[in-house]
Amino acid sequence: MTNLKKAILIVGVFLFINKSHSQNINWASLTNENKHVTNLNLNWDYASTVGIYYGCKLNTKPPIIFGIDYSVPVGSKVFDDFKSKIGIQMQLIKFQNFRLSTKIQGIFRKYEQPIVRLLNFGSDFSGAFGYYKSKWFVATEFGFDKAIVTYFKHSSRYKNSFTMVNDGWYEPATGGNFYYGLLTGISFKKHDVYLKIGKVVTQDFKTTPLIPYYAQLGYNFKINKMIRLKK
Amino acid sequence: MNYKKILMASAILLSVSFSGCKKERIFNEPGNLVPKTVDQDPSLSSIYVNGTQLHAEAFGNKDSAMIIVLHGGPGSDYRYMLNCKEFANQGYSVVFYDQRGAGLSKRHSGDSYSIQLMIDDLDAVINYYRTSSTQKVFILGHSWGAMLAAIYINAGNANKIDGLLLAEPGGLVWEDVMKYTSSIQSFGFFSEELNDAVYLDQFISAKEDEHAVLDYKRLLMVEGSEPKNDPTGNTDGYQMIWRLGAVSYNSLFEIGKRENPNWTINLHLFTKKVLFVYSERNKYYGLGHAQKVSSPFPNVELFKNLDAGHDMISPSNGWSHFYPKALSYFNSLKH
Repeated sequence: MTNLKKAILIVGVFLFINKSHSQNINWASLTNENKHVTNLNLNWDYASTVGIYYGCKLNTKPPIIFGIDYSVPVGSKVFDDFKSKIGIQMQLIKFQNFRLSTKIQGIFRKYEQPIVRLLNFGSDFSGAFGYYKSKWFVATEFGFDKAIVTYFKHSSRYKNSFTMVNDGWYEPATGGNFYYGLLTGISFKKHDVYLKIGKVVTQDFKTTPLIPYYAQLGYNFKINKMIRLKK
Repeated sequence: MNYKKILMASAILLSVSFSGCKKERIFNEPGNLVPKTVDQDPSLSSIYVNGTQLHAEAFGNKDSAMIIVLHGGPGSDYRYMLNCKEFANQGYSVVFYDQRGAGLSKRHSGDSYSIQLMIDDLDAVINYYRTSSTQKVFILGHSWGAMLAAIYINAGNANKIDGLLLAEPGGLVWEDVMKYTSSIQSFGFFSEELNDAVYLDQFISAKEDEHAVLDYKRLLMVEGSEPKNDPTGNTDGYQMIWRLGAVSYNSLFEIGKRENPNWTINLHLFTKKVLFVYSERNKYYGLGHAQKVSSPFPNVELFKNLDAGHDMISPSNGWSHFYPKALSYFNSLKH
């Protein structure tokens, strides 16, 4: 079995077992009629990025939202780099207005510049705990973003310099970063507007990314399920 | 949907699929993404000095006047300066070495670095290759290498050196260094260059002692931008190097930030003529910065390298102007 198939399988496993919170839902404002969640977000997610998200609420109790999202860094070349995620976000525990939610997402992302093109399959696990009212919420989150397996394809520019460079799949995991932060938002009718900010540290807890922070300003629009009217 | 069953089935499928995989490459294994260093590859030319193993070579008559070539960075290597071998054809002994923790020289932990150690390394290399006490010694330093040459002189070694060619040292007081490096490394918040540098952090991370990964990541950050966007006027875009030394770069830069050094105090003691070269296309250098940085030396000739950027020694057009001027300078001091 090729590494690509293996990576796809990893994502597939996440898809089935995930409980996730990639975008930030105000669980207290989510009604039984809400079937779809669409989202637009502006981020500092290692770089300045813009993203979109679509989520579908499954008919489960507690509520589970299956969703996919896609983001690209801004810059002169818009589609040379991107990140896509697929997973499920789920509320785990509810006690009065306190709620605990978790996520596990499969990630496929690409990075390209004049020396190398990287294709990576990874995962994103996180949990959020907070106080949720129907009009607003505040929570903390903690997560781990792991680059599980990465394909390296070098350009002729680097191969001319280092002829022995090896293209191919690399392991063990080529990267991993923990993140933690705060998120808050307001909700009205079918809309959520939220902001989250936090810090990123690498998996050895000794180093940090070049810019060790993340932030997201997002907007959710919830769409109710279609109701067939009897004649 | 029964999630436990799905999870179990997926786990079984996953374990079966993993067992049939061909072997992946190891991320941190030397030689995969970056070349091996001298302690990992015995076929490389090296010397043992001052408690380390340096990648080093010498060309020409070893008894002739010696030119020590110092590369930039910190953390780059001498590959891009190999044009300087031409001085060997003109009767010089030309010595190249990759500085401690840089290029193909042995790697060390970040806390082991000091400016004094870099001075001692240079002194040890000179002593290693010098064949007599009467042999003249010149230094040709580029960028950080030019700074190191001046630092060496400032540290009480003015009488050991017979000629000094400095090509665009960032600065000799820390304030000038920061001002210069900040200007050449400034990116727009939404620029492709910034995103290429920082977006990488989610793909590759490394522990403090994983030098192959750290060096590779630094390579992607430093050499990954498009040539047309280079503010220092470099022509070839990609500077031919073997391997960058990430820990060496970070450690020496941190020392500078912490100690805020002034390396000009004793430069007035170096009374021989200094040839100070700056490039026409580096818009952040120019005559004003060259005059300011070179001012502590009492005897300086400024030379504007036409049609060249900061990498003036590497590409053919920069070298074609640089070489005759440098040769003329060394010849004037040779006898």
